[in-house]
Amino acid sequence: MTNPSPTKTGMIDFRGVNKWFGALNVLKDITLSVEPREVVVVCGPSGSGKSTLIRCINGLETIKDGDLIVDGQRLGDPATNMAQLRTEIGFVFQSFNLYPHKTALENVTLAPIHVRKIPRAEAEQAGRDLLAKVGLADKVNAYPSQLSGGQQQRVAIARCLGMRPKIMLFDEPTSALDPEMISEVLDVMVAVAEEGMTMMVVTHEMGFARKVAQRVVFMDAGAIVESGTPEEFFSAPKTDRSRAFLSKILRH
Amino acid sequence: MLENFSFRTIIEYLPLFGQGLITTVWLSALSFAGALAVGIVLAAMNLQRSQLFRIPAKAYIDAVRATPLLAQLYFLYFGLPRLGFVLPELVVGILALSLNSGAYIAEIIRAGILSIPRGQVEAGVASGMTYVQRMRLVILPQAFKVTIPPLLGQAIVLVKDSALLSLISVSELTRAGQLLASDRFMPAEGFITIAAFYLLLYYCLKGLAGLSSRWLGLQPARSST
Amino acid sequence: MIWQQLQSLAGSYPLALRGLGMTVMLSLISLVLGTALGFGLGILRTGGNRLISSVIGAWVDLIRGTPFLVQIFLIFFILPEFGIELDAFTAGIIALTNLAACFICEIVAAGIRSVPTGQVEAALASGLSRWQRMRQVVLPQAMRIVLPPLVGQYVLLIKDSSVVSAIGLTDLTRVGWLVVQRVPNGLLVFFLVGVGYFIVCYPLIMLARRLERRMGAAHGEVQL
Repeated sequence: MTNPSPTKTGMIDFRGVNKWFGALNVLKDITLSVEPREVVVVCGPSGSGKSTLIRCINGLETIKDGDLIVDGQRLGDPATNMAQLRTEIGFVFQSFNLYPHKTALENVTLAPIHVRKIPRAEAEQAGRDLLAKVGLADKVNAYPSQLSGGQQQRVAIARCLGMRPKIMLFDEPTSALDPEMISEVLDVMVAVAEEGMTMMVVTHEMGFARKVAQRVVFMDAGAIVESGTPEEFFSAPKTDRSRAFLSKILRH
Repeated sequence: MLENFSFRTIIEYLPLFGQGLITTVWLSALSFAGALAVGIVLAAMNLQRSQLFRIPAKAYIDAVRATPLLAQLYFLYFGLPRLGFVLPELVVGILALSLNSGAYIAEIIRAGILSIPRGQVEAGVASGMTYVQRMRLVILPQAFKVTIPPLLGQAIVLVKDSALLSLISVSELTRAGQLLASDRFMPAEGFITIAAFYLLLYYCLKGLAGLSSRWLGLQPARSST
Repeated sequence: MIWQQLQSLAGSYPLALRGLGMTVMLSLISLVLGTALGFGLGILRTGGNRLISSVIGAWVDLIRGTPFLVQIFLIFFILPEFGIELDAFTAGIIALTNLAACFICEIVAAGIRSVPTGQVEAALASGLSRWQRMRQVVLPQAMRIVLPPLVGQYVLLIKDSSVVSAIGLTDLTRVGWLVVQRVPNGLLVFFLVGVGYFIVCYPLIMLARRLERRMGAAHGEVQL
């Protein structure tokens, strides 16, 4: 499953990707293909390279060798318009990264207005709808500092959806949240997944993985160690490292 | 003792002090505007990737910070005529203050921009913004806020520094005090009066700095005067 | 012509050395005195006695709110009216020491205030005396905050010492002013004066930056 034939291209296609930070080989021969409408959960111990993996997809990190093809365009290829490609990819950060000087609605409409060049009125209508969809219709004019962590992260998801992306990437979206706020964010993510979005989610929320993921990818020390359906992975992990990892996170 | 302290003479010279105060205010304002321009250009150069821009900017900032304003003032005052620029003292003074404060303002602006968390840049990048869009929509509006209080601190420094212009005979506030001291041999009357005027300016600017940080919802500025 | 001027300048080098010596001496003496006084004032400023604290605060504001040139004039021309005869050197030292002490007082006070109250309470709970708390617990932690701006303040002090040339002390700046009357090349003369200051100040600026980075790192702040 992790070795697609060279002719077939998924929505996101890693082919023998390597990346170094100095002497450290943070991504080792990554080969992975994500199909349209597929939801892939990436997990693994900290420092395993899982965040780096998804940050490569929208070019927040650059790769050293191998090919990374996203939506049919090869990253690092001079012909690829990176800014254009990024508008097709939503990215949700662990620390939300909302713009503190903008209201919730302005956060959602900023890029549609300035990057997508959508007329303001139209963008604002769409923004209100999206905020309503993530359950924040009453927080349209609130600033990030007036929102809880869970609310901020939901605004951040709405901000991505405002660009009408083909792919959504989530980098540990709930790990900066207080426990009681995690489910409100996961519920929104589940709703997004059920609409058929292509998603890669770095998370340890195994409930979320069981519910919507078609595949769980386990990484350790920069390499993909194991990959399978959530059922396979949780009930019968194949390697010692994944067993050790699961016993640790399931204990909590 | 100061038993002969003459308030009457101070009153008599009040128009002169008033003029000096006004000159100090407007020449400081003009110099501050010049310094902002210099500072913005230097900060922009210093934030480039290319060493071609960064090295000259850094060298300029270091040279200004490691030498006294008075030496810089004399450098221009005695040096510019040599290059064929014979300018009025006032212009030389404003130029010196602008070039000097500009180096400090460049560092304030740079620090303001660098204080914006990395995640803000990444959020802009991830939504497909160009460098200019990120700067204009995300970074600068946030950086602007945090630079206001230290910029007002620099304005305080500049007003005080402008006193040195009296040494190249610019008729500003300190010069007025010197005139009273030398014409009437009344240094106490002269210098205490101008000190009071400078304090007035200081408290105005300090009050403004305090207000601005409250408006902007920042911590009270750690004064850089 | 340049050659002639260079020769003439070369002849002024004993004067230049004397000027540099004067600058260094003025700075050094007032640096030591100002640091001692500044720490004392800073500790008193945060010491809990409202009256002492506000008197010091008012004095610091007075000094921060007026140009140093005006302070020098006040000390040099007005103290004699109180029967205190001063030569220019003593007046310069007094003015610079006072200036340094006021700025250092605020730096030290900010450092002391940055130490969490829990630290003082822990020291209190373990029975340390007031002085022991300050000496063993508060000051060592405050130094992290104090050190970088303190070194920066020394640079300002050296530069401010140039202003005492206005009351006739033959420091580096005054030497430039004297030489330029004889060798009418202001660019060259004051460039060299600038080099003199640069040699003294730049290492301190570098030190201040390094301390700032180190202290920042020690606090776990992210450098960009």
